[in-house]
Amino acid sequence: MRKPLAAAVVSMFLASVPRARAQDTTSVQPVLPPMPVVRAMLFGDATYVATDRKIPSGFQLGQMVGHVIVSFNDRLNYFGEFSATAQSTGYAFEVERSILRYDFSDAVKLSVGRYHTPIGYWNTAFHHGTWLQTTVSRPEMIKFGSQLIPTHFVGAFAEGNLPVDELGLQYMAGVGNGRGSVISRAGDAGDVNGNRAWTLALSARPSALFGMQIGADYYRDRVSEASGPSATEGISSAYVAWQRERPEFIAEYAMIDHTPIAGGATTRSHAGYVQLAYRLTGDARQFKPYVRVERTTIGRGDVIFAPLSLGYDGGIAGLRYDFTSFAALKAEYRRERFETYDWSNGAYVQASFTVPNLGGGDHNPAQP
Amino acid sequence: MMEKQRVSRYGVRAVLARSLVHVMLGCALMLCIPFGHADAQAGGSAARQAVAIVVNPHTAVTDISFAELRRIFLGQQQFWPDRSKITLLVRAPVAPERAVVLDLIYRMDEDQFRQYWIGKMFRAEVAGGPKIVYSSDMAINLVDNVPGSITFVLASAVTPNSKVLRIDGKLPSDPGYPLK
Repeated sequence: MRKPLAAAVVSMFLASVPRARAQDTTSVQPVLPPMPVVRAMLFGDATYVATDRKIPSGFQLGQMVGHVIVSFNDRLNYFGEFSATAQSTGYAFEVERSILRYDFSDAVKLSVGRYHTPIGYWNTAFHHGTWLQTTVSRPEMIKFGSQLIPTHFVGAFAEGNLPVDELGLQYMAGVGNGRGSVISRAGDAGDVNGNRAWTLALSARPSALFGMQIGADYYRDRVSEASGPSATEGISSAYVAWQRERPEFIAEYAMIDHTPIAGGATTRSHAGYVQLAYRLTGDARQFKPYVRVERTTIGRGDVIFAPLSLGYDGGIAGLRYDFTSFAALKAEYRRERFETYDWSNGAYVQASFTVPNLGGGDHNPAQP
Repeated sequence: MMEKQRVSRYGVRAVLARSLVHVMLGCALMLCIPFGHADAQAGGSAARQAVAIVVNPHTAVTDISFAELRRIFLGQQQFWPDRSKITLLVRAPVAPERAVVLDLIYRMDEDQFRQYWIGKMFRAEVAGGPKIVYSSDMAINLVDNVPGSITFVLASAVTPNSKVLRIDGKLPSDPGYPLK
């Protein structure tokens, strides 16, 4: 009984010995596990806002977002995304994503943690990297802190490629806590109603249409607000994205059904947007003009959404200028109407950037 | 009532005009910044030569489709059929073989290529981007020694011991080879 314990202690000791010293030993050749490789990235932005909405205007420091990847070996990885958001009373720190994933193969990858929910396209394509997205802001339906779409998901996922080569099919299936008692938040500290949420997403990247991604997904949960009604929630969504930049096209639609637990008819809300952009050519290739229209309509009598006045109409037109490979200026005009307000107009000028390698890891994506 | 509507319309126009001024100021600010881009197109003027796809000699693959090759280079396929991990080695700019690969496989320019891999890492689709090699010799040496690795070199740089993949059944010397 003592021998395995002694062996374990020796192994732990050897593992703690620096690799160089272990290599000097000629009589014992311990096989040391490789040290984890850490890579880190940073995203940030600052925006100047001028609007006739009754919201703070002027200069706004957006989110500072840190992203870290830890590779324990070639199959086990940790992905973390952390944000600091400027608020009137200070900075709000948030763990946006925290995922531990084991890759068995291209077909099966299992993970656990906190995710951006794979509903639609934008939420999992751009995350909190403002520089990555063409526009100044996210569509209203999936804005930060959205009450319409549960943008975060705490749970476990299986994902991978499906063996249909020409279609580039991928799946993502997950089970988790669903919305928290504050419906804009995920159930980080546990499921508030003991009824697990689940989601299934399918997407395709056909090899014949290089650059195109299409997808559809379904999300099911029971929503239990802290001081309000409960309802079962079903979200169906679909999207088409063409990300080749000449042109860039993203269209996304979500349909949200709520059925009150206490009884009553099912109500249906709709949300969607269409965004079109085009990277200019030649000497003007740093410029990318863009437009987007979006709409959210809430089902009449929806027990969850109706009190929140989430109806929205809006349109934007803007110009992005990539003045280096890792920083961009965007100027955007926005005309929009929230459900309980009149139309408003706004102008936004944003500088956003990324630092693709903060000195960690063995790879610099800035110069692959 | 008419008066109120007129005032309201004038109010909207004023706000609209103010917003447009802000956007124009933003655009003017953009135009004041010099156009110069630090990153030239990799090897854009180089004459097109056939590019060979070379894999580690122990990789149990001899022929792949162009679609599969593209998925590997895009990081959409990260494992060989025997479930060993693929290590992608990419030549640093500026090199003619890199220009061919970016043009024909990625269909991206240098900026789009960088943004692609940054986005892919940020989306947690890959744990890291391609490993960088700085010469054909380095590429050949590494691919010979790193299990599961794949790289590309000019066909003229292939050594006798290199394992060159057929693409859609064709070698670099064959007519209709897709990477030239």
